[in-house]
Amino acid sequence: MANAEILAAEPYPDAPHPDEPGRKRGPLSPLARYLLTRLALVPVMMWVLITMVFILMRVIGDPITAAQGGRLNAEQIAERKEAAGLTAPLINQYWDYLRNLLHGDLGVTLTDKREISDILLQNGAATLELSFWSLIVAFGVGIPLGRVAARYRDRWPDVALRLFAILFYAAPVFFVGLLLKLAFTPFGWPSSGRATTSTELALQDVHPHTNIMIVDALISGDGYYIRDVLQHAVLPAIALGLLTGGVFLRLVRVNLLQTLRADYVTAARARGVSERRVLRKHAFRTALVPVVTVMGMQIAILLAGAVLTETTFEWKGLGYQLAQYLIDRDFVAVQGIVTLIALVVCISSFLIDVIVAFVDPRVRF
Amino acid sequence: MKRFVPSVVRQSHGLQRFMLLLGFVIIAAFVLIAIFAPWLAPYGFNDNRGSDGVLFATQQAPSSAHWLGTTVGGTDVLSRVIFGARTAIEVIVLAVILSAVIGIPLGLISGYLGGWLDRLLVLIMDALYAFPSLLLAIVVSIVLTTKHEGFVGWILPDPSGGALSGILAAAISITVIFIPQYYRVIRNATIAVKVEPYVDAARVVGVRTPRILGRHIFSNVAQNLPIIGTLNASEAVLTLAGLGFLGFGIEPSDAAEWGFDLNKALPDATNGIWWTGTFPGLAIVLIVLGVTLVGESLNDILNPLLRTRGGETTTADEEELAEAIGTGVEEPVVAASGERRVAALSLSDLSVTFRTDSGLVRAVRDVSFDVAPGEVLAVVGESGSGKSVSSRAVLGLLPNTASVEGEATLTKDGKEQQLIGLPTSKLRPIRGDQVSMVFQEPSTALNPVYTVGWQIAEGLQAHGEVSKKDARARAIELLDLVGLPDPEQRVDYYPHQLSGGQKQRVVIAMAIACDPDVIIADEPTTALDVTVQAAILELLLSLRDRIGTAIVLITHNMGVVADMADRVVVMYRGQVVEEAPSSQLFSSPRHPYTRALLDAVPHLGRENGPQPVAESAEVVLDVDDLVVEFAGRLGQPTFRAVDHVSLQVRRGEVLGLVGESGSGKTTVGRATVGLQQPTGGRVSVSGTEISGLSDQQLRPLRSRFGFVFQDPAASLNPRMSIGDCIGEPLRVQTEMSDREVEAKVRELLESVELPGSYAERFPHELSGGQRQRVSLARSLSLDPDLLIADEPTSALDVSVQARVLELFTELQQRLQFACLFISHDLAVVDSLANRVAVMQHGKLVEVGPREQVLGSPQEEYTQRLIAAVPVPDPEEQRRRREQRGHLLTDIS
Repeated sequence: MANAEILAAEPYPDAPHPDEPGRKRGPLSPLARYLLTRLALVPVMMWVLITMVFILMRVIGDPITAAQGGRLNAEQIAERKEAAGLTAPLINQYWDYLRNLLHGDLGVTLTDKREISDILLQNGAATLELSFWSLIVAFGVGIPLGRVAARYRDRWPDVALRLFAILFYAAPVFFVGLLLKLAFTPFGWPSSGRATTSTELALQDVHPHTNIMIVDALISGDGYYIRDVLQHAVLPAIALGLLTGGVFLRLVRVNLLQTLRADYVTAARARGVSERRVLRKHAFRTALVPVVTVMGMQIAILLAGAVLTETTFEWKGLGYQLAQYLIDRDFVAVQGIVTLIALVVCISSFLIDVIVAFVDPRVRF
Repeated sequence: MKRFVPSVVRQSHGLQRFMLLLGFVIIAAFVLIAIFAPWLAPYGFNDNRGSDGVLFATQQAPSSAHWLGTTVGGTDVLSRVIFGARTAIEVIVLAVILSAVIGIPLGLISGYLGGWLDRLLVLIMDALYAFPSLLLAIVVSIVLTTKHEGFVGWILPDPSGGALSGILAAAISITVIFIPQYYRVIRNATIAVKVEPYVDAARVVGVRTPRILGRHIFSNVAQNLPIIGTLNASEAVLTLAGLGFLGFGIEPSDAAEWGFDLNKALPDATNGIWWTGTFPGLAIVLIVLGVTLVGESLNDILNPLLRTRGGETTTADEEELAEAIGTGVEEPVVAASGERRVAALSLSDLSVTFRTDSGLVRAVRDVSFDVAPGEVLAVVGESGSGKSVSSRAVLGLLPNTASVEGEATLTKDGKEQQLIGLPTSKLRPIRGDQVSMVFQEPSTALNPVYTVGWQIAEGLQAHGEVSKKDARARAIELLDLVGLPDPEQRVDYYPHQLSGGQKQRVVIAMAIACDPDVIIADEPTTALDVTVQAAILELLLSLRDRIGTAIVLITHNMGVVADMADRVVVMYRGQVVEEAPSSQLFSSPRHPYTRALLDAVPHLGRENGPQPVAESAEVVLDVDDLVVEFAGRLGQPTFRAVDHVSLQVRRGEVLGLVGESGSGKTTVGRATVGLQQPTGGRVSVSGTEISGLSDQQLRPLRSRFGFVFQDPAASLNPRMSIGDCIGEPLRVQTEMSDREVEAKVRELLESVELPGSYAERFPHELSGGQRQRVSLARSLSLDPDLLIADEPTSALDVSVQARVLELFTELQQRLQFACLFISHDLAVVDSLANRVAVMQHGKLVEVGPREQVLGSPQEEYTQRLIAAVPVPDPEEQRRRREQRGHLLTDIS
């Protein structure tokens, strides 16, 4: 997480560089060519991840034995393995798995016979909601404070903010969660679940049903539900948001410090541009390019953090569900969820590159 | 490490040092606790009854018997926290060592070799890196803790092996997620280091790949390791705790683990039982804090981008200049000007002092000069003379580590305004409106993420209410004025879409946007090719004539001074040593420094270079129909850098290869020593064909040629002593004993006029000129037949350059090697080459005896090139300027 700063220096040294002036252009615009190249990499990266997950999962052993080991006798297990196609050669199983994936068929969990696509729909929505809230906290904390720290470099606000960032990096998200619980439960503030049970039940009947609780609550239009849902989101969002926010703070600070000493900042001052504008337009906007790149990598951290946050606050998202299935040794479910996470990672890193292309004209032209 | 830590502490200061030491103290405390855990802890980590056999009460608040209380399982919290430290330290050490041992070699090899292996590894590592690390660690940990049959079971540790295997399994799970991080950092650093000239220098003398990786690349990449190591250590603790918290860590019966304790404490939190979770949590925070503090401080201290820069030159450089000049500073000589003039800008007794990490540095002392409307005042000096600092001080553009004393007075319509000490709010309206600046490096002076039109308009809007439409119209007008073709279109271009000369025109357009009274041009043409330079200087003069501004021209190039200046101020070590009208300064310089400086400047057309060598001399280098192409990126056509070039160099001959940037002259040089494989054609050295040979086949032939690189600072490995640098070719290519190598190194040092004791020093302790002498000594260590010198003096100050060139000529006369001397500076080539070859766009334009090519060039491009060079003589330069007429218009 913290080495994001080092890694941010040059995430892809051999990534497409802008055209040198005077070089002939191909039939496509450089932007289109860049994006197409980048898009072509998405399935490749996804395939690498899916294959890795598959191999790891098979190294563990076959899922039936893992899940039912103590409960069934050898004969029954062999029967079920046969039925699930697990006796076929590994390479055939691999092809079958890839083919099913292409058709959108992720399988059914072993332990509670849920369609994995259903899990993705229901629990995925919960994780999405948590990520959304915590990103709001992270941006709200990280970016303005990072600017303040850079502005007062090496003076007390900078020192205090950097210590703050290090502390939130050093504190595991579940420990922060535990402290928040300790501090807030005496006041009756809700500290587990996505809403009180009654609200949850009531929102089940809302149409259209999105599984995203705040949206469902808004659709219901009932102020009590909306407040209840928001109250439940506060603590998890703070715990996860502060973790990511600390990273953002450091990133913004370090990149601003570098752009602030760039020649074009001096040049802008020399043409009489006001200090405020120099900071806002010249230093900040240019500093944002590497920050956005690294934020792409933060998605992975956010997802990993979500597993811990969800477990701490019993927030029934993907991470919570994944941890449950891992404990139950239900590897069909694990494989499905992990595959989905891989998908999210690949797509979001592509989207980030698209954003970078639009922020940075050197990529665009 | 021993040498490393104290030097880091020495480099740090104040808060940094405090944070670093605090971090070390915290880590040391945890290590001690881990080692002495059995003695420190009152009970065992799993004990739920005392020595008296009585069960502990569960969830008991802190008391004298249990200082930190007891857990839900009835164990002592303090004991668990103490033993937890042991587990954490064991896992950190194992994980960091394991991932470094695997990740570093992978990164080194992948970065250095490149190719398909590199691409494959990058893909895998990127995929691993993008994946949520904790999930990966969980999956790996499950793999490791499940009992396996067959091959897998044979390589993986037995999960039933107790505490050690539990810790090993946790460490391996964490290792898997760290390998990509080491790999990425090391690979990227390797890619950055492998193009450093000192790596090329090692390849040129035939050093084998493993030695290059170890001695040259790893030693320089290794400075990243302490930082990434500390970061990984803290992540190891967090990941271990995460695993434990989710129930996938070490078996609770095998070892105490803080994450597991936190998990058990979670239900307590809602019941007001605070002690079971708080203490293990605090332990995690503290240890991560300690490690992170060390890492952060190291990063702060070692990252050159974040360091406060000291003086721009080292003491060695200053001494060298003083030695080259052969004089201390005498009283300044100021020629009295006849008429009384009204100055537009006047500096008097200006002094600038910088606070740096190494104390106070006085960059400028009591500088006074003035410039009148319509006048060009040149401020000349070599590096460290303070010429740029004094002019930036006028506009308050120095970093806040600088303090400025003295006066700078701006006069407009009879009203005087004092600029020094003015607050930024008062200074801002003056910047760009009354005094504006042109910068040296146009590519960094323009913000890459805005269009040039936007940036020009911004300057206009800063000085008055201008509508967007008007600002844009004015921007187009200005771009037209500075001679940028198609201004209506180019106003919407981003800086990187323009060439260097075009960018400098944009920077000038910004400078004249508000019709300023004074333009300060800080080395405005140093980054540009000579033909582009001529066009930009023309532009500045025509603007002066049109709007009557005063121009302060800061430069080190005496030719530019002769071409442009009405009056000249010469600066040396922060002081003004002479001020005189241009013609007087060149014809009768009065201060010894000025005289020495003018003597050192090579003068195109007045140098007495050598005559061509006899046709009968043996041909040492034979380049026949050489073609070098670089593959374009996806969808790009291939780029032909060298296009059917043929040339020969004979024994005892110096062939000057000249051309502007991008002409392919350096590529020719690299191809002749096998650093670049040719696409077509042949290269032979002393009759042996070397093109197409593999590195292996080339190695025994390496002793026949030497290579001197452009930047002396970069072509010597900063982590090798001078003796090792010079001795490396001898050790690699010959069977000499250590003593023989040492003796030979001393002999070589003496031949380049350096004392033998310099063998013990490191490159950073030497000045630029001394380093270039060392490069020369290294390239001559194997008595080569052929020497390739690629811009060997262009990074040096002119007075130092003169001495290096003198030494070079003397050695070449004595040793009679053939030399391909690559340079952009026609005057330098004029002083030492027998023959001259001119390149443009990869093609050889003209080749022949020096006097013929430089004296009466046949080709139009050569004529243009020579006409563009400003000579250091105002009278002659005026004639040349008139003669060349419009030969140079519309070039940039």
